[in-house]
Amino acid sequence: MENNQKTGKLLEVKDLHVSFFTPAGEVKAVGGISYDLNYDEVMGIVGESGSGKSVEAYSIIGLLQSPGKVIGGSITLEGEDVLAKTKDEMVALRGSKVAMIFQNPMTCLNPVYTIGNQLIEALKAHDKHVSKEEASKRAMEMLELVGINNVEKRMKQYPHELSGGMRQRVMIAMGLICHPQLLIADEPTTALDVTIQAQILELMKDLQKKTHMGIIFITHNLGVVAEICDKVSVMYAGKMVEQGPVDDIFYKPGHPYTMGLLRSMPRVDAESYERLIPIEGSPVDMLNPPEGCPFAPRCEHAMKICLQKMPPYVELGDNHRAACWLRVQDQIEKEKAGKTENKEVGDNG
Amino acid sequence: MAKYILKRVLMAVITLFIVICLTFFLMNAVPGNPWLSEKTPTQATIDALNAKYGLDQPVIVQLGKYLENLLHLDFGTSIKMQKDRPVLDIILTMFPISAGIGAIAIIWAILVGVPLGCLAAYKRGTWVDSLLRVICTLGISMPGFVVATMLLHILTGGIEGLKLFPTMFDGTAKSYVLPCLALGFYPMCYLSRQTRTAMLDAINQEYIKTARAKGLKNKKIIFKHALRNALIPVITYLGPQIAFTLCGGFVVEKVFSIPGLGRYFVMSIQNRDYPLIMGTTIFLAAFIIVMNLIVDLLYKLVDPRINLAKGGN
Amino acid sequence: MAEKKKKQPFGSLRPDVDDILDWNNLPQDAFEPASSAEKESFIQDRESVSYWKDAWRRLRRNRVAMVAMVIVILIGLFAFVGPLIVPYTYDQVIPGANNIHPWHYSLEDQAAIDAYIEEHTGTANLSPDEAVAQAEAEAEARGETLSPVEAAKIRATAKANQGKGEENVTEKDAAKALGIKVKPFGYTQAELERMAAGESVFPHVFGCDNQGRDIMVRTMIGARVSMIVGICCAIIVLVIGALYGSISGYCGGKVDAVMQRIVEIIYTIPEVLVILLLGSTLKPIFEEFQNSGDGFLQQMVTLLGANLISIFITFGLLYWVTMSRLIRGQILQLKQQEYVTAARALGASGGRIIKRHLLPNCIGQIVTTTFLQIPSAIFTESFLSFLGMGVTAPMTSLGSMCSDALGGLNTYPYRLFIPAAILSLMILCLNLFGDGLRDALDPRLKK
Repeated sequence: MENNQKTGKLLEVKDLHVSFFTPAGEVKAVGGISYDLNYDEVMGIVGESGSGKSVEAYSIIGLLQSPGKVIGGSITLEGEDVLAKTKDEMVALRGSKVAMIFQNPMTCLNPVYTIGNQLIEALKAHDKHVSKEEASKRAMEMLELVGINNVEKRMKQYPHELSGGMRQRVMIAMGLICHPQLLIADEPTTALDVTIQAQILELMKDLQKKTHMGIIFITHNLGVVAEICDKVSVMYAGKMVEQGPVDDIFYKPGHPYTMGLLRSMPRVDAESYERLIPIEGSPVDMLNPPEGCPFAPRCEHAMKICLQKMPPYVELGDNHRAACWLRVQDQIEKEKAGKTENKEVGDNG
Repeated sequence: MAKYILKRVLMAVITLFIVICLTFFLMNAVPGNPWLSEKTPTQATIDALNAKYGLDQPVIVQLGKYLENLLHLDFGTSIKMQKDRPVLDIILTMFPISAGIGAIAIIWAILVGVPLGCLAAYKRGTWVDSLLRVICTLGISMPGFVVATMLLHILTGGIEGLKLFPTMFDGTAKSYVLPCLALGFYPMCYLSRQTRTAMLDAINQEYIKTARAKGLKNKKIIFKHALRNALIPVITYLGPQIAFTLCGGFVVEKVFSIPGLGRYFVMSIQNRDYPLIMGTTIFLAAFIIVMNLIVDLLYKLVDPRINLAKGGN
Repeated sequence: MAEKKKKQPFGSLRPDVDDILDWNNLPQDAFEPASSAEKESFIQDRESVSYWKDAWRRLRRNRVAMVAMVIVILIGLFAFVGPLIVPYTYDQVIPGANNIHPWHYSLEDQAAIDAYIEEHTGTANLSPDEAVAQAEAEAEARGETLSPVEAAKIRATAKANQGKGEENVTEKDAAKALGIKVKPFGYTQAELERMAAGESVFPHVFGCDNQGRDIMVRTMIGARVSMIVGICCAIIVLVIGALYGSISGYCGGKVDAVMQRIVEIIYTIPEVLVILLLGSTLKPIFEEFQNSGDGFLQQMVTLLGANLISIFITFGLLYWVTMSRLIRGQILQLKQQEYVTAARALGASGGRIIKRHLLPNCIGQIVTTTFLQIPSAIFTESFLSFLGMGVTAPMTSLGSMCSDALGGLNTYPYRLFIPAAILSLMILCLNLFGDGLRDALDPRLKK
């Protein structure tokens, strides 16, 4: 669509801390995560429920509800500090530069307004001068773009008259109607049937190619990540435990949690006798997170140090790093063995 | 939709029938008779009177006769309060006064209560919200007669120099103010509370998150997306509130000595004027049931989900 | 180390030197596998808080609800313990106490005032209401009653006098002119004299009504009636509603369909209308029953009072509908859940499933709805009593006290406003506490 294709950093998140101040105490939902995203790049954020992945996304777009609060770090979008923006500036930013689509298309569209009304409203929020005819023309174009036919009729329909997949398409159309640079998709396929999931993923891949926007794709499904993402961040208990290009994450995982996720995912190429292996145990209590690695209690490789100190990030390859004491151990051994260059890191997993 | 309306109308008719029977049997179960007043009449007189008004026949026969008359809109005649005057005539002269006051009261209650509820939801957590919540909880905690007598005492000369309104109801515009104010206060507070709850409910819905993500202004989110959804459940409270206002009228009419149907109904119960009690009960019950029915249908019409879902199937 | 990590620029491929230096300082056994015991002790589980404890904690934090609770308890003490302390009874007519205000002048002051009034006006020049009240009091003292005609005459003369009397001196004016201040609490002349003689007399804190009955005791009894009505009605509603709702919800199918039609019909019946009707028709029925013999049932009726019983019945017949709907809805919802299916598969009987699995799950809502029924019942009872269809004399209730006071509103406003205030305060606090209870018991309904 837009031809003014840009390169370089679109979004930069540095050491973001988000806490929820609940009556029971402070819940550190996000405890210091960093990443950056280039134009025309798709990043997946993977993690189980409560790992802070949605919270992190909400803070980018300024939708964090009280008692949640960003308490540290910075978010830079196209060179502008998002956290320093006023409320009105954030309102102007949302929908125009950054759009977001949500998990459940059943409840995310207002049941009492027509599809057309809600689409045009999104357009008008950022472009006051657009005429009615122009707006509805663009809305219909958008609907066609996301693969909805019979658009004129659809414009006049209410959300409950559409199927789940159709509604998610409408949501995507609504997100893209102002041509945002960044799209945050918060589990957009989770609530859909498997066949519809594939359609929606296909559509998003298509649209990404056409528009060259950056996408942050939040999911707990590694299969979806393999499908669409260029790079992946794995989150656990508010921390980013591993980060890297999608191939590295799949073929050379560095963190036991990532390995666990991979093993618990069904694969087409698996031998028939291979069983899916669940990750035992449940996440830590975020209200008083322990010192040390939060994954340690569930980790089969847990060592004494894991229970005492949070591991540092270790570079495992180009843009690939993980926070795990096992990898630190590898490094130390390598150093001792031959004092080889730090850059080459083994890929034992 | 047609099927639904039919079902509701049928339900209303059954309800009305039950109310008629209930009233009728209750009236007949009451010991004593309407002729017992200052001077006890002789047995012969009582028998004659009973025969005249058909009170000597079995209850079922009386009921059948009554229902038959009812079909011709014949409610019988008063046997005590205004002897031999047709009940329907009494109702038709008194009801407009009650209905007028009730309508004004419910209208001001809606016009003030709903916006106040929105305001409280919009300013939730602030002092405005707290203040409104205290006022509205107080409002639904004060029985109608407390509000009415307080207004009566304060604004009609109970406090020196503050005689703004007449004590007695005389049909002038000024004399309408206090009764309407007193009558509408409870529904106003009730609606305001319900609106606030419904608004907060709506605000927590996911489509509000979508609207925020679209970059809509806060005001537009509240007043376009939340309000329309919040009003749908609020409409359902209107039916019971109309009924309540009408019955609250009994008290207000007593306090302000308004010659309305409510006061007369209470008096007829105290005087055991059977046909009058029956007539007013049935009339008021029918009115309330019809109002409930209208509100209920209105609710189905406002919500596109229900309306169109029926049409589509 | 966490702080050092922050300094490291993100995306740098070079490992942090500090980090590597740190690694050499790690303890010897750092890379030994951790035992499972160590792992377990690592997670400090929050102690799990039971539902009721958690709810109580939330409730306690709700300041409005706690204040409301304290006030409700105080009113409860006032209503139930108060009458034991005050040496008067609600139907006791205290001689000479007709219409005394909740304030008094000391004997000397009163004499001075009387003299002052005497001096300034030939005849005692009173407002029409006061004149009638005085005449009534005088008549009653003589053992007669004032006929309406006489009362009207007195009123007319008083009005006429009032108009022309330029020296219209009331007690208040006299007190003002003499610089006498009123003292709190009401005493009759006789009581003041007894007090002067050294006896201690319990004051009439709120004054007395036109028949010389102590208003405070009557208010206490009225509040007690209100509370009893509220609590009993809530229990009746709970029992009927819970039974009906759980049977309807649990049986489902045709039974449910029929039961729900009945509920729908009762729902559309105009409640207040039927309550008025029932209240007024049941009362004479019970009164007759009460007089019909001396059996156990009759004594029960006498004990409770025909009016109260008829109020209970009307509530029992009509107000359980909401409760039954709520419980049915809960049960239908819970019925779908796996653990109920599991219990049934294990051969648990229907009653046992309701008791052990279904009810504990909707207990929060049941408690809240039952509790909120109390203020609503009090509200309706006061309405009935005000219209003269609640409890009958000499028994009293807050509503009928207000109704009685309506006549002398201008002269004795406190007679109406004291019971009205207690009534409103009681309902208000019950509502506020109920709201707090709802917030505390249903975590989903957080603000």
